[in-house]
Amino acid sequence: MTEGLSPRIEALRAHVREAAVELRTIGPEIDRDPTAIDRWLHLPAVDIMRGCTVPTEYLDRPLRIGGDTYDIRSCLEHVVTIEELSYGDAGFMLACPGPLMSGATIDALADDKQRHAYYQRMAGPEPTWTFFGLTEPAKGSAATELETALVPDGDGFRLTGGKRYVGNAAFAQLGVVFCRRAPGPLGIEAVLLDTDTPGFHAELVETVGLRGARISAIRFEDVRVERTQILGYQTLKPSRRGLVGAIRTLQRFRPVLAGTALGLSRAVLDHVHRQRPGLAGTARLRLAEAQDRLAAARARNYRVAQAIDAGQVRLDHVAGVKTRAAELAEYCTLVAADLLGPAALLEDPLLNRLYRDARAFEFMEGTGHIQRLAVFQGVLKGTFLD
Amino acid sequence: MTVLDGTLLDPAAFAAALDACHEQAAPGGLVASGSRWALASAARAGDGVPVPGGPPELVALRCAAPAGERELAVFAEQLLRLHRQALRTVLDAAVARLDRRLSEGTTLLNRQLVRGAVADTALALAESADLLGLPAGTPWRRWRIHRDLTAAGRTALKLHGAAGFEAAGPGRLLYLTELLGNTYLHPQPHGSEAQDD
Repeated sequence: MTEGLSPRIEALRAHVREAAVELRTIGPEIDRDPTAIDRWLHLPAVDIMRGCTVPTEYLDRPLRIGGDTYDIRSCLEHVVTIEELSYGDAGFMLACPGPLMSGATIDALADDKQRHAYYQRMAGPEPTWTFFGLTEPAKGSAATELETALVPDGDGFRLTGGKRYVGNAAFAQLGVVFCRRAPGPLGIEAVLLDTDTPGFHAELVETVGLRGARISAIRFEDVRVERTQILGYQTLKPSRRGLVGAIRTLQRFRPVLAGTALGLSRAVLDHVHRQRPGLAGTARLRLAEAQDRLAAARARNYRVAQAIDAGQVRLDHVAGVKTRAAELAEYCTLVAADLLGPAALLEDPLLNRLYRDARAFEFMEGTGHIQRLAVFQGVLKGTFLD
Repeated sequence: MTVLDGTLLDPAAFAAALDACHEQAAPGGLVASGSRWALASAARAGDGVPVPGGPPELVALRCAAPAGERELAVFAEQLLRLHRQALRTVLDAAVARLDRRLSEGTTLLNRQLVRGAVADTALALAESADLLGLPAGTPWRRWRIHRDLTAAGRTALKLHGAAGFEAAGPGRLLYLTELLGNTYLHPQPHGSEAQDD
């Protein structure tokens, strides 16, 4: 039991942990062939991801543990869930169908009709993969500078441009695309797009690791967009649309990504502990140091998630946990490779996979440089170190 | 500078550069690590298994016995020089890339954090050259140089953003140098329990 977490959260953790056990053996298959997720859609872990953040009123069988029902819309519950699934296998978790980041954008921007249609689809009998299309080849995830264009066309629009480093896009049925309708930050819109719309093209980008994330490149060639597909177009002012959705989604998901990195970190340190129970001297101290850092980072991430649930979104704190967790995942895998000895990266498949996977977190949901600027602002304002 | 500089991002060129390390240490042959693994191009190794996370141009071959101490020492020095070349390639590519990328009316290369990361990587590269130039190299010194270059490589990769994670890019190049160092330069006897580093 983790100090300070409620019995409800601990029950969720225990449930997800059990569901995640079998992911460890499937991880290598997903690493070799990311489409292999299609063979494992019957697993409880997939059910958890499909229902994760879907409001319970849309689900025939919402997650029930003991006497409690969970929609995992609480940030803390989400963090704990993702951390445990990532302890099993982060690539498997990311390859699963479900709302993931697109759901947070829907919650931030969609009108009632859009929201209802989205969640009805997510709760349907067929698994639905989604994507969150923000990052662009030339501009990274700098939302205010994005160039994908939404141009008026009759009573609707045409979408032209490209995105890169978008998880699951090449396999998704729908997703959110951030695009520019007019100059300036108020000219950004978020569009909910079906991937079978003519002009939508997506392909897998081969990566060093975390291949289950199925990182993709998207090209939009005059893709028709109706006004009803622009999130909040009928109900929100331009100043409350588009960019606001991107920012809120990233704020909400950075602790979740930190949970992914911390789940992986715990997996690799536990692996070292199992493989080298007799570590001694400096080697033992290095493992203990990594375990201490991990425990501290997890506790901080839970505090940040609890604060978000309480309505206190602190940008500097969110940025801080994301960047430290990403660094910790790299640090733990480097320490593990040292402690497991010569040729461990060749001979130990689990270490090799975690070692490659850990490098993804640095750039996902904003690079360390970007997060450091937010921490710096927090230091100036006196909010980060209080 | 060698003719391979700037082309190491090409897996075939990297495999050729690795073969050249073998050639320096064991003309016409392969240098097996203390753990009895040899990594080389498929053409040089003749047989072998795929390198996990690596390109098809490289294979790993389990050998009957480790190479001799002298061969291993020569190979290790060459490997570190290859690691330096790879890191230099990655750094130069980052500088060129960030000098082309515009944000808020200026190039990303003008950002202070970016300049600091470039300088940190360059400092590590310079120090590694100085350390490699010292007489009487030892396995422990070579291991420390490898770890320094690995850390500097992680810094340099961050300059590439998500592009640093693409298989056909700097991420895999530096991953291969890390895997080679873990295989050939780790000073602990293979199969023993780690006690000190």
